[in-house]
Amino acid sequence: MVRAAIKGVLAHKVRLGLTALAIVLGVSLVSGTFIFTDTINSQFNTLLDDIFSGIDVSVRKTQADFSGFEEPFAAGVLDDVVAVEGVQYAEGGVSSITAQILGKDGSPIGGNGPPTLGFSWGETAALNPLKIKEGNGRAPAAPGEVGIDANTVSHNDFALGDLVTVVTGAGPEQFELVGIMSFGDSDSLLGATLTAFELDEARRLFGYMDEFTSISIIADEGVSGDELTTRIEAALPAGLEAVTGETQQNEQADQINEGLSFISIGLLAFAGVAIFVGGFIIQNTFRIIVAQRTRELALMRAVGATARQVTWLVVLEAVLVGVFASVVGIAFGFGMALAIRGLMNAVGFGLPAASLLLLPRTIVVGLLVGVVLTVASAVLPARRASRVPPVAAMREDLLTPKRKSFRTRTIWGVAITSLGVIGLLIGLFGGIDNAIALVGAGAAVMFIGVSILAPLAAQPVADLIGRPVARLYGVSGTLARENTKRQPRRTASTASALMIGVALVAFFTIFAASTKASVEETIFELFPADLTVQSTSQTDPELPAPFSPAFTAEMRELDELGAVSALQFGRVEIEGATQLIGAIEPQTIGEVFALEPVGDALIALDAANSMLVSTARLEDEGWVVGDAIDVEFSATGVVPITIAGAFEANDFANFYFSSQTYEDNFTVLGDGVVFANAAEGVTLAAAQQAVDGIAEPYGNVKVQTKSEIVGEAEDQIDLALTLFNGLLFFAVMIAVLGITNTLALSIYERTREIGLLRAVGMVRRQVRRMVRWEAVIIALFGAILGVAIGIFFGWAVIQALKDQGLGEFAIPYGQVFIALVLAGVAGVIAAIWPARKAARLNILEAIGYE
Amino acid sequence: MTASPATGLGVTAARIENGTKIFGEGEAAVRALDDVTVAFDRGQFTAIMGPSGSGKSTLLHCLAGLDDLTEGHVFIGDTELGTLNDRDLTMLRRSRVGFVFQAFNLIPTLSAEENILLPLSIAGQKPDGEWFRQVVTTIGVDDRLTHRPSELSGGQQQRVAAARALVSRPDIVFADEPSGNLDSTSGAELLDFMRSAVREFGQTIVMVTHDPVAASYADRIVFLDDGAIVHEIFNPTPETVLDEMKKLGS
Repeated sequence: MVRAAIKGVLAHKVRLGLTALAIVLGVSLVSGTFIFTDTINSQFNTLLDDIFSGIDVSVRKTQADFSGFEEPFAAGVLDDVVAVEGVQYAEGGVSSITAQILGKDGSPIGGNGPPTLGFSWGETAALNPLKIKEGNGRAPAAPGEVGIDANTVSHNDFALGDLVTVVTGAGPEQFELVGIMSFGDSDSLLGATLTAFELDEARRLFGYMDEFTSISIIADEGVSGDELTTRIEAALPAGLEAVTGETQQNEQADQINEGLSFISIGLLAFAGVAIFVGGFIIQNTFRIIVAQRTRELALMRAVGATARQVTWLVVLEAVLVGVFASVVGIAFGFGMALAIRGLMNAVGFGLPAASLLLLPRTIVVGLLVGVVLTVASAVLPARRASRVPPVAAMREDLLTPKRKSFRTRTIWGVAITSLGVIGLLIGLFGGIDNAIALVGAGAAVMFIGVSILAPLAAQPVADLIGRPVARLYGVSGTLARENTKRQPRRTASTASALMIGVALVAFFTIFAASTKASVEETIFELFPADLTVQSTSQTDPELPAPFSPAFTAEMRELDELGAVSALQFGRVEIEGATQLIGAIEPQTIGEVFALEPVGDALIALDAANSMLVSTARLEDEGWVVGDAIDVEFSATGVVPITIAGAFEANDFANFYFSSQTYEDNFTVLGDGVVFANAAEGVTLAAAQQAVDGIAEPYGNVKVQTKSEIVGEAEDQIDLALTLFNGLLFFAVMIAVLGITNTLALSIYERTREIGLLRAVGMVRRQVRRMVRWEAVIIALFGAILGVAIGIFFGWAVIQALKDQGLGEFAIPYGQVFIALVLAGVAGVIAAIWPARKAARLNILEAIGYE
Repeated sequence: MTASPATGLGVTAARIENGTKIFGEGEAAVRALDDVTVAFDRGQFTAIMGPSGSGKSTLLHCLAGLDDLTEGHVFIGDTELGTLNDRDLTMLRRSRVGFVFQAFNLIPTLSAEENILLPLSIAGQKPDGEWFRQVVTTIGVDDRLTHRPSELSGGQQQRVAAARALVSRPDIVFADEPSGNLDSTSGAELLDFMRSAVREFGQTIVMVTHDPVAASYADRIVFLDDGAIVHEIFNPTPETVLDEMKKLGS
């Protein structure tokens, strides 16, 4: 049986080869993702090893897991630590996440994703992760000196001795580049920009006078890290903790893992779509091949093979194809991993080149995905193969197996589609946990259901699409149309593969268009201010990056501006959950921001340790104005805060403090957003020009009008759309391969027919045209199904998000039309090879073909 | 039109001059046609006979422009096929040659009428309505025109194929064992029709067959053996054909 299976596979090399390609693409995406993340992970583990190997114990502020950076504490703690028995040496330092380097043209470097880190230079090499590269200067030792990481230096053409502008909480200042640094042995830390200053200079710049953010400790010989940690812990004041180097290393590794898993989950989701599409194609191919081999299978039955053996034969062939394709796919995964790294580096991550890492897990998962997918997809065709009666070997009329009735198909199709729709809707509107998983599963089930129903629509739809084709291209067009109608299941199944990709593209496109339609209204309504100032960086996906408050101070001096109001943002913990909060200036906020306070809420907010809570949240929690709520801050710990009032708007945060309360409880890094109005009699343009004027030296702040913010938001939506559609390209490509495969198999079946057409006078061009239009009709059928489903998805999701300001449901007809045209073009491309093959058939051999 | 070198009568519709066809190379080379010269007069029904492997099908294929000669020349009317590229050959088949094969003559997705008109539709030409009526009435499929091939009997299918071969009024029709898959009644109907096409419409037909009864419908029989023409007879009856075959076989 195994030998028969191997022979079977070899006999259908080309046909199975195209199928294998679908698996190869899917598996390479999966294994590429794993190889990429494993490689990065191992690189960073090596790096972290390097960094923490010298540190036995660290002292830091007890980390609230929501703070995102190291909080400062009093410098005097160092003396307590040094006094502990077993401490050989201890050194304090400060660090900051807002040290923005400006390039030679004054534009900010990095900051879109990887952070902008600043450090004080540690004198003890064993405790300092930063190193001056051999022959590249020296450590910063005096005010006005800076060390910068080698990656940033080389990418921005800096040289030793250059004056480089760095913007910190103290504003933009120029520093002499005295040393080029590495982090551990790496030229870069995940693309972050690194700066180092002499300790007191760093303290001044970061605003941490007489403070440290961490103390690193070397233990006496014979004293273990764990033991020393316990001893130091006992000597520390409340709010500080001691951890071993190992603990810290693990924490950092976990953080990197988390960041990477975000990327890998995203990539794997798209790989999943590609694999799902691949399943359709594999099933279709095996079904066609089984149909074409009916006589051969019947002969096997006639000479004594059992039905079970015939099933196994087909399944075994699937296993062989699956194993082969998976192995090739895993090999291609290396290329995919390199491509992912290239892409990440192109958007600013300085990922170091290193030999790629193939873990056994990657091989196992890749093989499992490829083989299970192939076998699962081949099971139904295999069962059909087993139902071929032995007598079919002799009788022509039994060669085409009886079709299941359309009634059964309709019942199953409608049931499965409904199941998918119900899952999708519960996911969207049910307000349950894991909603996204349910939405995804619902969508997948719905795709399967629609693909079961699709053969019912195949003939009428093909007739409709084919009508103009037949009119335009005469007999080639007519035959193209008739060929798509003759095997509705085959046509529908091929089209369904394309449907999936097109549906998701259409969904993202509609979602983006709807978001854009709402974004202008939302922004204009929520931000009545003439001008908005923000950082150019986006280091935290949820919070606006802070920029230097020195800039806000300068703005307030400008005569061209009327009201100027600054907002800060941060995270706190309330009732055990992390919450985003905003801080506002109660006196001016009303002029520039649509907070919609209830009654005199803003006046009440002036009281110390008070906050405003959105009406929605008050209702959810059952709080009333006047209640005191325990709020945990990472700088000051748990503080009872009184609810001073309520507000209606619910765009960003559910909690607002006054700027004063914020300063009392947060380590202020800078302002998040500053809103300003033009002074009376000053034009918007003049006001913007004035602010632009003072913004220039800072480099990292942008001054925008309302329309500019809308434009930027739209650009970001477009960028995301491009990214998603780019990732869906694989799924679409697999579907196009599927069309090629189906056509090739159909042409193989119709060899004699094509020979006859050629004999009675069809020129090659007409043959090619016939095949091409068949492909286009199939592709358009799939695209139309896909667009219809995409519109439904879009509508459902927009309805579900109505509460979050996504009111408008907009179908971008132009883009949808372009998607249909592109699907047609995809059909043309898919047809190139089979059309050529059909046109080149030798007439005599074709006519004599059995 | 040149006078027929073979008969000296009428004008030739097609001819082959010193035609040689070799399949394969070296040791395995097979000489399917060996210096064959023969002409087919217009308005004549010619049958080509011979044992299996005698080269009769190869002769037909080369005459029809479906295959090319290793040496020699083939003419349809005055056009030498060897000078034509694939496209021109196809055009020639489309407009000047008709085909009836032994089996699988029809496109399954097209109706009988569409199949009959296929060569014209491929060429983008309008059919001559009157001629079309006449052809389909003569072959007796006028009431099955909207049917697809799968809904027609084997005899009806072959007659539709014959109608297709005639509808574009080609210079010559080539038939390869057209009655080979039919029962004797259907076969006789088809051959009757082919003969009447020659008698009444002046059509030229060249048919390959190994059936003496089928061959007896022809005006002339050319016997082929080992790639060479070994004999020919005119106005045959089944008996004379059988006699001739016996003689050749011995």
